[in-house]
Amino acid sequence: MDIELEFISSDVLSGKKPAEKMDFLLKKIKSNKIIVVEESLSSQEEALLIEATMKQISKKFPGVEISTLRERSADGFKEKVIKMLGGRTGGLTVIGPSTLVKEMRREPQRISVLAGEKAKKKKSR
Amino acid sequence: MGLYGPPNAGKTTLANKISMDWTGTPVGTVSEIPHETRSVQKKERVIVKSDGQKIEMNLLDMPGIATKIDYEEFMNYGLDEKEARQRAKEATRGVIEAIKWLEHVDTALVIVDSTEDPYTQVNITIIGNLEARDIPVIIVANKIDLKGSDADRIREAFPQHPVVGLSAMTGKNVDDLYKAIAKHSR
Repeated sequence: MDIELEFISSDVLSGKKPAEKMDFLLKKIKSNKIIVVEESLSSQEEALLIEATMKQISKKFPGVEISTLRERSADGFKEKVIKMLGGRTGGLTVIGPSTLVKEMRREPQRISVLAGEKAKKKKSR
Repeated sequence: MGLYGPPNAGKTTLANKISMDWTGTPVGTVSEIPHETRSVQKKERVIVKSDGQKIEMNLLDMPGIATKIDYEEFMNYGLDEKEARQRAKEATRGVIEAIKWLEHVDTALVIVDSTEDPYTQVNITIIGNLEARDIPVIIVANKIDLKGSDADRIREAFPQHPVVGLSAMTGKNVDDLYKAIAKHSR
């Protein structure tokens, strides 16, 4: 099984409104790609992405796996100010469809992704 | 006070424990099937007394927040396809509702299963959103009665917040939570 990874520069996302950003990311993910974005989504953007994902859940698209690595200095208020001024917060975000990502493990400074075709689940009846 | 966390962390069990202790009535039903709470359950005028303080609150048991909801998982618990799809649909709405409430709570209890890895994106997203809004957070390392539980791992993961290790099921250490609520809630 082929797995496609796409690395996205933060320039691609800069200037996009939060809703546009989420639509852009979800469109990529729904085309069965694991994407790596050259910036950390803010906590609010993560919540927006979860909301947008929930609105699009279907039989074929049960959701996403996401993990964000942030620079320690770019949390909270500072992160917000940096983004408002058009700056980059550093870090990175990995997002993939849950149908493809078997496991995404996050440690404070590391993300590991196990991807592949999932075995069909056993049903109890 | 909002109770947040991923599905099956024990939010409703804890909400029921708090509510039973101070009002004598439960908040919601508990199930081993994930996403049993699919809309916000509210218990008004809960008065918690601890360390000579009296905190009056509306207790809000939130639906579990998740990044994926696969109806087939519910079928593994014996639901038929129609029931499972309906549950999944309601669960997606519940997640959205819980996220919308993030900006309306005064204090949050974030319930984490202490037998599991705390570095999940859901935990990080919930806590990050509460921090961004300057809402006081108390982290509950639940299920300390279970083998493999490690409340210290939760403390290491979130050193910036008070962490209370307890068992909502058995009531162990729940008094420590009441003390933390009296100390940290807004």
